[in-house]
Amino acid sequence: MSPILDHLPEFWQGLLVTLELTAASFAGAVVVGLAITAMRVGPVPVLRAIGTGYVETFQNLPLLVLLVLAVFGLPEIGIKAGLLATSMVVIALYEGAYIAEALRSGVNAIAKGQGEAARALGLTFGQSLRHVVLPQALRTVVQPIGNIFIALTMNTSLVAAVGVVDLTAAANRVNLVEAQPIPIFVGAGLAYAAVAAVAGLVTGRLERRLAVAR
Amino acid sequence: MVSMKRVAAVAAMSVLGLSACSGTDSAGSSAVPGAASGGGGDVLASAPVATAADILPGSTMEKIKKRGELIVGGSLDAPLLSQQNPATGEVEGFDADLGKALATYIIGKPKVKIVNSASETREALLSNGTVDVVFQTYTITPERAKQVAFAGPYYSSGLTIAVKKGTTGISSPQDLNGKTVIAGANTPAIPEIQKLAPQAKIITFGGDPECVQALKQDRGVAYVQDETLLVADAKKDPSIQVVGSPFTTDPYGIGLPHGDDQFKKFVNDWLTKIQSQGVWQKIWQNSLGTVVQGAAPTPPAIGSVPGS
Amino acid sequence: MTAPPARRRSSGPASTLLFDEPGPRARRRITVATVAGTVVALALLALAVRQFAANGQLAAARWQPYATWPMWRYLLGGLRSTALAAVVSAALAMAAGLALALGRLSRRRPLRLPAAAYVEVVRTIPALLLVYIVLFALPRYGLDLPLLWKLVVPLAVSNAAGFAEIFRAGVLSVERGQGEAAVALGLTHGQSLRLVVLPQAARRVLPSIVSQSVGLLKDTSLGFVVSYAELLYSGKVLANYNGLLIQTYIVVALIYLVVNASLSKLARALEARQPRRRIPGAG
Repeated sequence: MSPILDHLPEFWQGLLVTLELTAASFAGAVVVGLAITAMRVGPVPVLRAIGTGYVETFQNLPLLVLLVLAVFGLPEIGIKAGLLATSMVVIALYEGAYIAEALRSGVNAIAKGQGEAARALGLTFGQSLRHVVLPQALRTVVQPIGNIFIALTMNTSLVAAVGVVDLTAAANRVNLVEAQPIPIFVGAGLAYAAVAAVAGLVTGRLERRLAVAR
Repeated sequence: MVSMKRVAAVAAMSVLGLSACSGTDSAGSSAVPGAASGGGGDVLASAPVATAADILPGSTMEKIKKRGELIVGGSLDAPLLSQQNPATGEVEGFDADLGKALATYIIGKPKVKIVNSASETREALLSNGTVDVVFQTYTITPERAKQVAFAGPYYSSGLTIAVKKGTTGISSPQDLNGKTVIAGANTPAIPEIQKLAPQAKIITFGGDPECVQALKQDRGVAYVQDETLLVADAKKDPSIQVVGSPFTTDPYGIGLPHGDDQFKKFVNDWLTKIQSQGVWQKIWQNSLGTVVQGAAPTPPAIGSVPGS
Repeated sequence: MTAPPARRRSSGPASTLLFDEPGPRARRRITVATVAGTVVALALLALAVRQFAANGQLAAARWQPYATWPMWRYLLGGLRSTALAAVVSAALAMAAGLALALGRLSRRRPLRLPAAAYVEVVRTIPALLLVYIVLFALPRYGLDLPLLWKLVVPLAVSNAAGFAEIFRAGVLSVERGQGEAAVALGLTHGQSLRLVVLPQAARRVLPSIVSQSVGLLKDTSLGFVVSYAELLYSGKVLANYNGLLIQTYIVVALIYLVVNASLSKLARALEARQPRRRIPGAG
């Protein structure tokens, strides 16, 4: 284990970057997912089409390709942000498509009468979405969104390709010096597993709390 | 780190190897100079062929000759050294052409199969017999020589620094302290920068085009890479320039299976021959010589490096 | 909840839950929103294209190589390698996933626990980390796999967990009564699983399997790291050769998009073809 202990600061720094990336991109992805879902369940055909096109595009492109394109392509259209910030945004946009898709199937699972009842009560589109539909949809998608969170955590490792030193990149750099791949990569794997385990616990608890007897 | 391919090896890889470089994204650069060296054919026509007496019975050379193909561990994406030409599928460059010349020497024709190898796995590829030789900017080190044999060195290069034109205050590795420095992922540039400029912040990208683009987009103030690559980059893209001279010496060797002294002597004899007959120089002219000014350098003396 | 396996279902007709057939006033508002949405989207697009052109990235010379056959031939060769890696990994991952799912559903603890542990652990390890282990750690123990397998092995290992979860959810989504009826007819547990439950589960999980496979195909872009000459790595070699980093990756991205969108379309077609058996079945 000494290759890990000797390089604890590097690993710690990498883990922090991974956590930061995970948290920020997940928050962003939820916002993106909600916005896209609102567009897709609304009555405006253009917005529905944009929402669907968005989901299709991001779900069908490898994240690695998006990261490389964004980091090197965006400065060419005048948008220049730091590597970490760019990566956060790209991951948020990418995973946002998955969250939108999960939310939409949650919305689709809701009985049509719910929407009709909300309108009968005089609620507007936004109000019925916010007060009636989303709370029910969210409940059914806790598990899928938990899975997306875990996938997102795993996906943050790809930022190593665009110069961000996250946990995976840190492990790789330490291995470059120590040449002890097994303890180094297994150690990093355990750290990811721990993050995912925490996510699993939170999801389980959330699901129980949100569960309603029906 | 994308290109982890070349990974870990601290050491080594060549600098060049990694990343190839070509590419900048600068205006109008078309193909990599030298990548299009179609001239390989003429040079190879004049390359020496071993006499039947040189191909000892039961030797590695005989096995290769019987197979009719030399299997080389190398790269596909190292311009000027070993870069695949997408139009023809041919692999071109200094390392690639030397591999073809060695095949010509053994077999009589330049029949080569390149096994794209990650730097970390070259020792394993040689020891389990997947490849006959490695031509891949393989820096000779005493540690590696415990696992593989090296013929050569056949070329000597070193790390240097490139900056955006107009940058001041950077002329040596020590000037990189406290600055953000770009390097190819898993290249020997990383440990060298850490050693010479411990306060530098290093960011890495997988390939040379990415590194050049990052330099041009101000992701870092300097880019540390093998001199040859940087010279090629600067030639293609006038907005970057090379500063100072190389601050490391990386002697490249031809990787061979460990303990095969017969084969090592054979390859060293071949190297001596192509150097004295001017074939080595012509191959250099066709590849690295298309971006480096002047005549071909004097090749390093064979066996002059610990580990060779 | 016997919702079909929890993976994303691909976009069918979007929900009309939240609105009725629009009346005149709503139609007017929708028109306004349509125009506004279109204008904003087009304006953003135009701005991006203009900036892009201003930086010289649209110059004909930078795109011209991609109007030539050799470049496409090279990229399509990469695509073929991508397909090969994806098919081999998918076959291995599905076989392993099925075994794991059955293990996890087994009544025997010695089968259930290891299968569950595998799935839970592996799905929390980044595929890239598995690639590193195959790339750097195994050769130190004398195991240096050919390039294709350096990509296929980690992808199969990590996707097996995903497929296992899909199969398991599929089996669980088959109504209990089906298995019970089979047993009542005198079939053994194994027979009822094989003849009654699995065929129904297989049909239900098809769309999820396609989306998992699309994900796997995207994962083959890690060949970039392994230097296996799949599509993205071929793009890298090309960018090295012609120096057109951005153009090359845009072309590569478009190829991925077309291929994966076709696969997703297939998933949707499969989903649509599925008889809504829950309606008569579960009642």
